[in-house]
Parts: sequence; C-alpha cells; structure tokens
Amino acid sequence: MITLFVIALALCAILLLYVAAHSRRRGARAPRPVDLAAFRTLTDRGDEMFLRDRLPRSRFFRLKRERIGVTLRYVSRISANAAAVMRLGENAKLSSDPQVALAAHQITELATHIRIQCMVAFAKLSMEYAIPSLQLTPAVLAPQYQALRENVSRLGRLQVADATQLPVAI
Amino acid sequence: MRLSAGIVAGASVIHALWITSICLQGLLGLVLLTKKSWERFPLFTSYALFNLLEMIAGYVARTNPTIYFRLYWCGEAISILLGLAVVYEIFRTIFVQHPALRRLALFLFALAILGLLIVGGMVIWAKNPGDSKSMTSAILVIAEATRILEVGLLMFLFIFSSAFGLHWRQSTFGIAMGLGIFTAVELLSVTMQSEWGTASVAVFNLIRMLAFNISLLVWIAYIFLPERVAESDLPQRAQLEQWNQAVMELIRQ
Repeated sequence: MITLFVIALALCAILLLYVAAHSRRRGARAPRPVDLAAFRTLTDRGDEMFLRDRLPRSRFFRLKRERIGVTLRYVSRISANAAAVMRLGENAKLSSDPQVALAAHQITELATHIRIQCMVAFAKLSMEYAIPSLQLTPAVLAPQYQALRENVSRLGRLQVADATQLPVAI
Repeated sequence: MRLSAGIVAGASVIHALWITSICLQGLLGLVLLTKKSWERFPLFTSYALFNLLEMIAGYVARTNPTIYFRLYWCGEAISILLGLAVVYEIFRTIFVQHPALRRLALFLFALAILGLLIVGGMVIWAKNPGDSKSMTSAILVIAEATRILEVGLLMFLFIFSSAFGLHWRQSTFGIAMGLGIFTAVELLSVTMQSEWGTASVAVFNLIRMLAFNISLLVWIAYIFLPERVAESDLPQRAQLEQWNQAVMELIRQ
C-alpha cells in the first residue's frame, strides 16, 4: 500500500514537471478584458436576496451555482491579470533608475496581495457553490488596491521619462 | 551464451553512461564557474561540484567493491543533504522577490516538511529497515524516505508558485526542473528496487543514470543560455485599465 503511494507520488511529480515545463514554454497569458456590467450584477448581494425571496429554493440554488461559476471565471481572470502585473513589476525592478525599481517593488507587493485575496475569494465562492444557502462575506481584495493603481500609474510615468520602452501598467 | 552477451552489453551501456555523466558534470562545473553561479546559487554549485567529485571517485574505485560500496552510500547521503539544501535555496530565491508571500510560504513550507516527514516515517515504519536481510535494503528504505522529502518539497514549490502566479527566473527554473527529474526518477527507482530486490539493480542503475544525465543537460542548458524576456508577454495599458476597473468593482461589493 505504502509502496503504491510512493510510486504514485513520484509519477505525480513527473507529471507536474511536464506541466510546468509546458506552461512555461507557452509563456504568460496576456490580460483579458472583463465585462463590468455583468460582473457588477453577479456580485450584487441585493440582487441575490431578491432572487432568494422570489424563487423556489431548488431553483434559487441552481441559479446561484450558475452565478458562482461565472463569478469564479471573472475572479480567475483578475487573478491572472494580477500575475501579469507581478511579472511586469519583476522586469521593471531591474531598471537602473532607483525610482522605477522602487515603484516596481511596490506594485509587485500590492499585486501579490491582490493575488492572495483572489485565492480567498476562490475559497469562499467554492464554499458557497457547495452550500448555496451560505452567504459568506465576499473576499475583500485589499484596500491597498487603490494604492496599486496609483503605483502602477507612477511606474508608467517614470518609465516613459526613463525611455526604457517597457509597457506601461494600470 | 545469449544471457552473458546481454549482461556484457548492459554493463558497457552503463559504463558509457557513466563516462558521459562525468563529462557532462565537468561541463556543468565549467558553466557554473564561467557564469559565476556560486554568487547566486552557492548551494547548487556545491551540490554540482560534489557530485562531480563523487562520480570521479566512484569511477576510480569501481574495481574494489568494499571501497566502492562505502564511497557510494556516503556520497549518496551527502548528496541527498545537499539536494535538500538546494531545494531550500530555490525556495529562498523565489520568495526573496515576494516579501508579501514570504511568511505564508514559509509557514506552508514548514507544514509540507512536517507532512513529508510523517510520510517518510511511515515508509520506514512499514518497511522496517532494521529487519532487512542486507545493509543495502536498509539503506534503500532510508534513501526512499529522504527522497520523498526532496520530491515532495519540489512539488510544493511548483504548486505554490503556480497558485500565486510567480514567475521563475530561467536559471532557478532550470535548477528545480533538473533536480525534480532526477529525484522523481530516483524515488521511483529506490522504491521499486527495495521491492524487487537485487535482481533489478542493473535496470534501475541504467534508468537512474539516464535520468541524471538528462538532468545535467537541463542544468547546463538553463544556466548557460541567456534569459529570455518576451516583451509581448507584458500587459498593455488599455487591457490593464479594464481589469483595474473590474477589481475596483469587486472591492466595492
């Protein structure tokens, strides 16, 4: 039994290495747009309460699960975009201009926080998917996000001044 | 007659792979020295140079079974410890750029070590090396338990960094990939060898040598080749503006 487990572990490791090498060769995914109006409706708790009061329980649960499925895809997109910002920050950190390097450091930090919050959102939404009667507080994607926005804008301005040709962020 | 011819052919393949391995390790040592890799990866450089010395010493002592046995298993023990140190070095290199994740990563890394130590302990308990008929069987069980730790920690690093979208620098990725290939095959080999006994030694030696040589090629390629930064991979302002608004909406909820 234990031998089978160890063999399975080794085979999983080989598979994981293959997937890692394959996804690295594919490169980073470019950020994708988000339909804001649809996203707003999906995450509106008032809208959810309205549906809960009006619809039969089983129908509401089915509908809620569908909404969560779509919301998860939006959060996944945001999470992937945060990873793109992290990568941008890492490259900009190599700049010879200390101001650019500092701004890059700050946006990488903040993008990392967003990524963590996205993970929390994933966990909460998954819980709600499993038990639709739950209404967990939506993940707070860090109040620092506004700071991320400002920092990335600042980095963009600095890089234009520095003429390093790196693409500008947020 | 046919069997002995097969054994001779197998022995010459292993011998050829041994020589290839020494040459590749020499080349890796050269690449590490010319790229001054010891500054960024002191533990990996020590690991690579130690493996080269161990391999040369083993080759020289191959005609004396007693000396070879002691040299091989002492070398393996040191190599496993250095391998674990390399895993820690990879961990440190990845998270030095992400202080925000460091505490969480350190906590989960410690948790992973604890879990893997329990699995390793279970392997030792289940196979009870004290009851083994030969010294080699007992050593194989210990090797299996320590390789579980090494493979498990590498898996943790790949899974964790993928979950958080961390981008690995080329050389770090190459070191982890090479070590992962070798340790996963090594774990598979020691596990099956401890089950099937000495009859399978030659086959597993061949597989391990092949895997180690592949790992050497991976290390040489990833460390030697210059880092590739694809500008097209980076986000554009308009796209980022859109997702920026989307996140602001989510925060407001």
